[in-house]
Amino acid sequence: MKRQSIAEALRDGIAEEMERDETVFCIGEDIAVPGGWGGAFTVTLGLEKKFPDRMINTPIAELGFFGVAVGAAMMGMKPIADVQYGDFLFLASDQIINNAAKMRYMSGGRCQVPLVMRAPVGATGRGSQHAQNMERYFTGVPGLKVVAVSNAYDAKGILKAAVRDNNPVLIFEHKLLYGSKGARTESGAVDATSEIPDLDYVVALDQAAVRRSGSEVTILSWLLMLHFSLEAAQHLAGERIEAEVIDVRSLAPFDYLTIGDSVKKTGRVVIVEEGPKTGGVNAELAAGIQERFGRHLKAPILRIASPDVPVPFSPILENAYRPSVSQIMQAVRALVADVKKGSGKNS
Amino acid sequence: MNFELKMPDLSTSGSPIKVIRWLVAVGESVERGQALLDVETDKATMEVEAFNPGILLKQIVQAGQEASAGDLLALLGTEAPSRQSSAEAVTDGRPEESKKYPREFLLSLHRRMLLIRQFEDRVKSLFLEGIMPGTIHQCQGQEATAVGVCAALESRDFITSTFRGHGHALAKGLTAQEMLDELFGASTGCCKGKGGSMHIGNFGKGMIPGIAIVAGGIPVATGMALAFKMQKTRQVVACFFGDGAVAEGAFHEAVNMAALWNAPVLLVCENNLYGASTRIDRVMKNTTVSDRAASYGFRGETVDGNDLLAVYEAARRAVEECRAGVGPVLLELLTYRLTGHSRRDPCHYQPKEERSTWSANDPIIRFTQQLVAAGEILQSELDEIREEVDHEIESAVETAKTAPLPELDDLLTDVYS
Repeated sequence: MKRQSIAEALRDGIAEEMERDETVFCIGEDIAVPGGWGGAFTVTLGLEKKFPDRMINTPIAELGFFGVAVGAAMMGMKPIADVQYGDFLFLASDQIINNAAKMRYMSGGRCQVPLVMRAPVGATGRGSQHAQNMERYFTGVPGLKVVAVSNAYDAKGILKAAVRDNNPVLIFEHKLLYGSKGARTESGAVDATSEIPDLDYVVALDQAAVRRSGSEVTILSWLLMLHFSLEAAQHLAGERIEAEVIDVRSLAPFDYLTIGDSVKKTGRVVIVEEGPKTGGVNAELAAGIQERFGRHLKAPILRIASPDVPVPFSPILENAYRPSVSQIMQAVRALVADVKKGSGKNS
Repeated sequence: MNFELKMPDLSTSGSPIKVIRWLVAVGESVERGQALLDVETDKATMEVEAFNPGILLKQIVQAGQEASAGDLLALLGTEAPSRQSSAEAVTDGRPEESKKYPREFLLSLHRRMLLIRQFEDRVKSLFLEGIMPGTIHQCQGQEATAVGVCAALESRDFITSTFRGHGHALAKGLTAQEMLDELFGASTGCCKGKGGSMHIGNFGKGMIPGIAIVAGGIPVATGMALAFKMQKTRQVVACFFGDGAVAEGAFHEAVNMAALWNAPVLLVCENNLYGASTRIDRVMKNTTVSDRAASYGFRGETVDGNDLLAVYEAARRAVEECRAGVGPVLLELLTYRLTGHSRRDPCHYQPKEERSTWSANDPIIRFTQQLVAAGEILQSELDEIREEVDHEIESAVETAKTAPLPELDDLLTDVYS
């Protein structure tokens, strides 16, 4: 066992998969540059020393190199393509959505695209265009699997599962959770390190994880908001409110089994998402829960998200943009109190 | 004419490559594909082959010496200029040109072009009759580009295509039956009825589904070529696209990378002068597409795309370069669409004079005249081939009309593996 950050765990995971399978290769910008960064957040730092032929540094051409990754994947390679910032996925989206996600279906199952894509997201002092939470744009794309990793153990296990999967898998990572060091350290970073086993392991791509058990309310979140939700739940326990916190983790498809079990138990749901409220992943999640478990709900589902504005620069505004621990606590308190009041009326 | 033999890009790590021994002495003649020398990289020992036949004139890097990818290794001279004459030298009706090829080969090319033409004409009539669903983008008039390029490929090589892919598919060896079934939306179609006209393909026959987003296939083809290079399979991918694709960012991003990596991709621009209804001179200052290659540091060539043998020869040279590790190559094939962009397009934007000039320049008529003039074929044999092709298509149409449609449950399959 060793304690590792997400960046370190991903680096080891990639190296181990490249060691295990010689068709695995990395493709992206600013990777494998001697004296360089190892990608924008140090994830691939130094891998070129071990795998000089399988670290493909590309021109700044996201549409082009995501297409290259799709083509290589179709011909039996297993590319791990990364963007420096999730926002750049818009440039690559034609290749991701029109080709990677659809090729298998259009070919009647004759082609497959075993492609892993990695994208850092989250508001981190960079203004509007290096900050967006991109999950919402890719969760409604049939053919694509979308996951979000919130700790180092998951990051490594999910990366490995994604490499071994024969579908295109998009992994979202949060800039404040990487634990990047040196010149790439992020201010406001949150500890997402884990004890990493020495033996090979994978984490299933389609499963949510219960991070904290509770009986009164279910908080659903992922990435940075999961950490905020856990902190909120801890404080709420002091107020005798027992919140169950679920790391949704698999954003497409949702793990309605794990989510459903919790909703049936608590009957109350708060969804926390970084990013504008309108059209967020939370909307689909709320609708899906309502359809499946509506009769178990004791109160309307609440959504905590950012306001419908671009990500601002000024730190004071950025902090106001990002849902906070206290906002989550307030929402949970209101939900629980409202239900208690409501059920009192009914009885 | 002399040819330079350069060190292929055998080492992806960029480390020097050592010449172990020469297998051919100066003055000896070599065949295309014959091993000329043994070399050693940090990974393996391998042979460097001649991609042109000729006489070895000079060994520039001696045994024991090292060279890097792209370094000049040797000079070769041609024995006779015949086969290596440039595409531009091939002119219409010059019977001697066809004499260089086996008769069976020439007839198979003719048959393939005719199959495409008759297929497209029949599909058009089925569509206009209202029997065939969807929309269609056809390639009447552009048969020589598809057939000439695919004839230069091996069956294990791949092609990528566009929304106008029927000709490419037939040229790569898909059957009229599996394509007609697909066009009718049948479960027996080459994509089980899930692809349709714009996404025709058959992975097993070396054609991924057509990519119908303009230029979308160029990065994908570059990636396929990168995979071939990394896997050292010596396969080549021919990437078909139209003149319209050249304005897309995807073209520029992909060809830059293809050049950077010496990717074995043959970039085939079928320049038919129109992107949908817009003539290229309305959207390009420099209308010579092949010029783009030079700005990215690789070879481009403009060829008469309605001259089948010129296309074949240009493609053959380009494929050899790609296989030898000195790709990519951009081939601009000048051709013309003798049908609408799609559906019922009456082509009012094509000037009458231009249309009639190109109609007279029909690649099938030109090739037939060439064969007849060379005495390779009699009119009666041409008629026979025509009858065979028509019969093949008609029988495929009849079968396709009653081919089994997908089950409704099939809607939900083939999304994930």
